[in-house]
Amino acid sequence: MRSYAHMWFIGPALFLMVVILLLPIGVAGALSFTDYSLGNAGADFVGLKNYVQIFTRSTYEKMFGATFRYVFVVVPLTVGLGLGAALLINSLGRFGDFYKTIYFLPVMAALIAMAIVWEFALHPTIGFVNTTLERGCGTWLEAWGWYAHGCAEGFPLWLTDRAYAIWTVAFIGVWQGFGFNMVLYLAGLTSIPRELYHAAELDGAKTGWQRFRLVTWPMLGPTTVFVVTISLIRSFQVFDMVEAFYPQGGGPSKSVYVMMFAIYEKGIQQNLMGIGAAITVVFLGFVMVLTLIQRRLVERRTHYV
Amino acid sequence: MKNTLTAMVFALSATAGFAGDKVVIEFAYPYSHLFDVTYEKIMPMFNAKYPDIEVKMRATYESYEDASNTILREAVAGELPDVTMQGLNRQSVLVEKGIAKSLEPFITKEADFAKDGYHPAMLSLSTFGEDVYGLPFSISLPVGYYNMDLMAKAGIDSTDKLPKTWDEVIAACGALKEAGVDVPMFWGWNITGNWFLQALMWSQDKPTVMGTDFTLDEAEGLVALNTMNDLFSGCEMPNYDLKTAMSSFSAGEIPMYFWSTSAVGTVERSKADFNFVTNEYPGLTADGPMGLPAGGNAAMLVSQSDDPAVLDAAWKWLKFITSGEGAAEVARTTGYMPPNQAANEIILKAFYAENPNKATAVRQLPLLRDWQAYPGDNGLAATQVIYDGIEGIVTGEYGDMQELQEDLSEEVQDLLPSGS
Repeated sequence: MRSYAHMWFIGPALFLMVVILLLPIGVAGALSFTDYSLGNAGADFVGLKNYVQIFTRSTYEKMFGATFRYVFVVVPLTVGLGLGAALLINSLGRFGDFYKTIYFLPVMAALIAMAIVWEFALHPTIGFVNTTLERGCGTWLEAWGWYAHGCAEGFPLWLTDRAYAIWTVAFIGVWQGFGFNMVLYLAGLTSIPRELYHAAELDGAKTGWQRFRLVTWPMLGPTTVFVVTISLIRSFQVFDMVEAFYPQGGGPSKSVYVMMFAIYEKGIQQNLMGIGAAITVVFLGFVMVLTLIQRRLVERRTHYV
Repeated sequence: MKNTLTAMVFALSATAGFAGDKVVIEFAYPYSHLFDVTYEKIMPMFNAKYPDIEVKMRATYESYEDASNTILREAVAGELPDVTMQGLNRQSVLVEKGIAKSLEPFITKEADFAKDGYHPAMLSLSTFGEDVYGLPFSISLPVGYYNMDLMAKAGIDSTDKLPKTWDEVIAACGALKEAGVDVPMFWGWNITGNWFLQALMWSQDKPTVMGTDFTLDEAEGLVALNTMNDLFSGCEMPNYDLKTAMSSFSAGEIPMYFWSTSAVGTVERSKADFNFVTNEYPGLTADGPMGLPAGGNAAMLVSQSDDPAVLDAAWKWLKFITSGEGAAEVARTTGYMPPNQAANEIILKAFYAENPNKATAVRQLPLLRDWQAYPGDNGLAATQVIYDGIEGIVTGEYGDMQELQEDLSEEVQDLLPSGS
């Protein structure tokens, strides 16, 4: 007789996954083919119209531009800085904990609260960033063309100039995110057996760089897979900061109009559930494809111990 | 255990009995930083007059857009309050979707409605078809804010020398720049609902929306866009956000600031030590604007209750806050004007004499026109498209106004229901 006990073990998890994950995604998928607007009694089927809009309108072109700029700046930098900080802290004896705390502090603070602080700091005339820069005027710093221009015309509006906005936001994203990766890498570093370093040294790996290339980096493979995946998903999800800086419009000339904000603007602010759902579906597709690609690329060369 | 239960049952039945004596109505309003003070003043007066009505405040709305959204969501969920405050340009959505109730049945029962100070020009802001759906509560108009200490650097040392046209504003900008003022002017293009674009359209006596036709594609539209372009480039206006602009003016860094009169109270409370004056909004010609859009909000009845006692209580609250002493508190606590003739001309006469900065908007009252909504489900999306377009002028993304006019008109017209 066959036992159905296994159904009872996986049943609750399966049920919850369907109800809180698969079902809503299915509903969003269905809504994305309609023109449903909140408060209306019904909705009409519009076929692929919403998707055609996403891939043809200039607004959505800006959305993809902003999202990819953010992701491709923030992911490499947070991973690189996280690894760098972890290695430095790992090599320290006594002050390690002190630096760990400092680098981890931005992660613990709520990003939305930090956004308000940054807004003050980057205020064009009374913020401390620009007032500090102004103090450098009249010194040798003016030899740098950009700096001299800033002294003559005023330093940039970091958050509302369309040439700077997305990079400023990405900078804050890096500042906020790399401490988290550092902690993950620190955990990865402690699990590397000391013997491997000794063996490498016996085999002639004298310099620190050789030890890193031959032992540390390959042994951190599994950690890197995890860190890159998490960073990718987290930077695709960036929303709170954009909402705090630019409650209306997604930045100067929509230069910081990231996907999450677009979903929120269409679906929640403007009640246009159809197009909001369509962006959500595209978003989910992107995250899935990117995750698959990077798993393939990285996992093939990862040694699990 | 048993005793606790009994006590709880008693407590519950007691509150139920208490609520039975009083009629409870629920109410929600936007912009707590502007209006909290106002309702704190109104509430005790209302409670004294109607001790058997209890007004329960819901969480405030962040903005007019949020107010509109919240009501739409609550309508779907069946959790509407009894009375809500909505932006003047967001009333039509609720009327179209059948959420707001007509106030005509209540108005016909009132004997002295006109005498209470509700005059037709103001009620027309909330009239849809033949019926009145809202009672305007606070009205604002665009005005010029000036820092006279800085204006003196351009040789403008008295109120009657202040610019009357946008060309004069640009000329003043040039003079101020030469005198070493970095940011001579900020113009509130980013106020909610494309208010300042509509101000330039009404200045030429042209509505921005006629039926389902977006009129930016006509000659007046190009004049409006060109005026903005000349202003932004002539004054080298930076792309400040709302908060930065206001804090910079209050800190005494910007000499000319064009904004809604609603913030006069806030600026007077928070400004640095300089001589602050408001004056009439400039026009395209020396005669000044031919019309200006009314900002502000109106009280609407959205109750789902069938109980006549609740509806009657909601009407009493509506009427109380929009007339007489209730309405007068609006002017005393904010920069808004009460849309009530009696309150403006009788109760507040002395107040405006003492507060000339708040009286500028009152002098402009004859210019009052509708703050227009973009009809249909895409109303908020249309607002955003125009916002993005104007921002493009500020950031210098668009240089050719004719091209921008074509693009914007086409894109917005696409979002509006086809002319049926």
